[in-house]
Amino acid sequence: MPHSFRHMTLSRRRLLRSSAGGLLGLGLLGAVPSLLFSPAALAGDAWQRLEAAQQVIGDATPESDGLTLDLPHVSEDGSAVALTVGVEASLDDGDYVESIHLFAAGNPNPEVAVFHLTPLAGKPEVSTRVRLNETQQVVAVARSAEGKVWATSREVRITVSGCLMRGDDVPEALSNPRVSVPGSFTAGQPGEIRTLITHPMETGLREGDDGETLPRHIIERFKVSVDGDTAFEAELHQSVSANPYLRFHLAPERSGEAVFEWHDDTGESARETSQLNVS
Amino acid sequence: MSVNSKPFQLRPGVSRRQVLKGIGAASSLPLIGGFAPAFASGSEGRVVVIGGGFGGATAAKYLKRANPNLAVTLVEPAQTFYTCPFSNLYLGGLREMSKIAHGYDELRDRFGVEVLHTLAEDIDPDGHSVRLANGDTLQYDKLVLSPGIDIRWNALEGYDEAAAELAPHAWKAGPQTELLRSQLEGMDDGGTFVLVAPENPFRCPPGPYERASMVAHYLSQHKPNSKVLILDAKDNFSKQGLFTSGWEQLYGDTIEWVGLSGDGRVTRVDADNLEVETEFGTVHRADVLNVVPPQKAGWIAERAGVTDDSGWVPVKPETFESQQVADIYVVGDATVAAPMPKSGFCANAQAKVAAAAIVSALRGDSPPEPYWSNTCYSLIGPEYGISVAGVYRLQDGVIAEVDGSGGLSPSDASPEIRQMEAEYAVGWYNAICQDTWGTEA
Repeated sequence: MPHSFRHMTLSRRRLLRSSAGGLLGLGLLGAVPSLLFSPAALAGDAWQRLEAAQQVIGDATPESDGLTLDLPHVSEDGSAVALTVGVEASLDDGDYVESIHLFAAGNPNPEVAVFHLTPLAGKPEVSTRVRLNETQQVVAVARSAEGKVWATSREVRITVSGCLMRGDDVPEALSNPRVSVPGSFTAGQPGEIRTLITHPMETGLREGDDGETLPRHIIERFKVSVDGDTAFEAELHQSVSANPYLRFHLAPERSGEAVFEWHDDTGESARETSQLNVS
Repeated sequence: MSVNSKPFQLRPGVSRRQVLKGIGAASSLPLIGGFAPAFASGSEGRVVVIGGGFGGATAAKYLKRANPNLAVTLVEPAQTFYTCPFSNLYLGGLREMSKIAHGYDELRDRFGVEVLHTLAEDIDPDGHSVRLANGDTLQYDKLVLSPGIDIRWNALEGYDEAAAELAPHAWKAGPQTELLRSQLEGMDDGGTFVLVAPENPFRCPPGPYERASMVAHYLSQHKPNSKVLILDAKDNFSKQGLFTSGWEQLYGDTIEWVGLSGDGRVTRVDADNLEVETEFGTVHRADVLNVVPPQKAGWIAERAGVTDDSGWVPVKPETFESQQVADIYVVGDATVAAPMPKSGFCANAQAKVAAAAIVSALRGDSPPEPYWSNTCYSLIGPEYGISVAGVYRLQDGVIAEVDGSGGLSPSDASPEIRQMEAEYAVGWYNAICQDTWGTEA
């Protein structure tokens, strides 16, 4: 395109930089990963090489069967990669999955999210959208209340398609909380809950248009309680996509009120309530 | 064969034995269906190409250009191929269907491609054969699939083949496009055109947004009180900033876009009532409902065993041969070729790489080093064009965009540049159709 090739190239570069929209500070890569891997294991599964995952696993020997991690093999938009993690293994009576930990081994900070579940959460399966800075291994670790541990990993290839230049949109934090609950529940049976809220989830690693680093501004905690009892909690890190989306389950025994709370790192919060009808 | 192919003639000094070696085991298999053995015409191998779109027609032509002694058969049910590129211009009233229509005369008459207008029903990769709907069976040494996309019916609740007759997808150009246009013409002024856009990956990333633009153009001419509502399963889309500022300039607030984070993801379609419901329960009623549904590789790719659990086809990027089945090459929208988008331009570029690799392989040579380029033009108005371009090479065994290649239309361009790009878009269309089918629409 002879008329403005130079301009187009420049504007392309500008766009790439300023529209990182969700990609984590591109310049920070490379130096980081060596710190993340425990020196012991260079071979084996990704969770074995990831220090942060090892801290959760501790002395346990994790199983891989029974923990599923569903992600696309290739994603054309690393700013929002849809992910579902769930424990399908059968558990002893009285035991339940109490936490699911997600890591992105190739992101500047590998912690993505921790989900704390209770028996009220019914089915240990959570979906969200995450930022992946580059092609990498995504790791999941789950623990049950009685100490069973599972770990698994999946490689995801990130390519930004040539036709997928994105725009800049800075949403207003904590606006538009949305909750979707089933019209009715069967007592003790899990029903699917979906939540979505507007928030930039600014990583603290990205430059603004003026070249200054934009301060970190993320939702750190999400909590759901039913009639005052905590049912589901999520700790979110920088690698959760802007406008956090969570899909999980509740299995109430009787009708009650569910309260959904989002807390960000400036101390602001949003709250939404929903009636759960058990028929 | 009246082929003008000076640079592509058979290399001197190729011995009969080399030819035999290059053709491989398949040539010793019994022939079914009455096709003459490849050697009878002095052929250096038999290649069957399935699909006569940008990828398939280009592959057939470039195979014959590179080696006229190949027996190349193109299998395509349609006598006339309608291109998805510029089908949005038909919706906008800028172009007739006959001006996005292409045939196969040049492939047949000038390049000596055997063109069979029938459907390929099944593929036997072990027997190297293709079964046709007309009862014949074709043997191949190398097979090229350019199957395009199929709709994943019911992946979006309520959207099946019957629903598509009420709420067209128009994501394969032809009767669906005409149906959508007639619905648009039948809509009352003041109505709402709802366009449901899918998550990635899908054919033609900027397509839904060009379509919204062209529909808004039509409405501005004929039904100025009408609206376009885009409900999107994504938060980001191709050339987003350029589209949104173009929409504002040309159409004011006619086009409204609701992204994923604004509850734009449609989870249920009620085609009878022209209603859609989003993930968080908002129901939108349309006067014309255009659903661009989830997609997968064209059906014959599944029959060939080349698709993976994503529904798309992983390929070896250096040749576009299937990663899963030997001697089957797959090009175009069906493939996993990101960061190359699913575009007609990419299908054309990939077909040339596959053709070169096949010609080399049949001669016992290694494939040339590939590269690809792509430009996606989109029209926001008749005199308002935008584009994104890229050049791709292999890096560490995967396709990667060459640093500093290509580019995106400037965000602050003058109306003159927008107008020039609209003209370039037409030039691009004419050139790629000439390259692919040898026809000018």
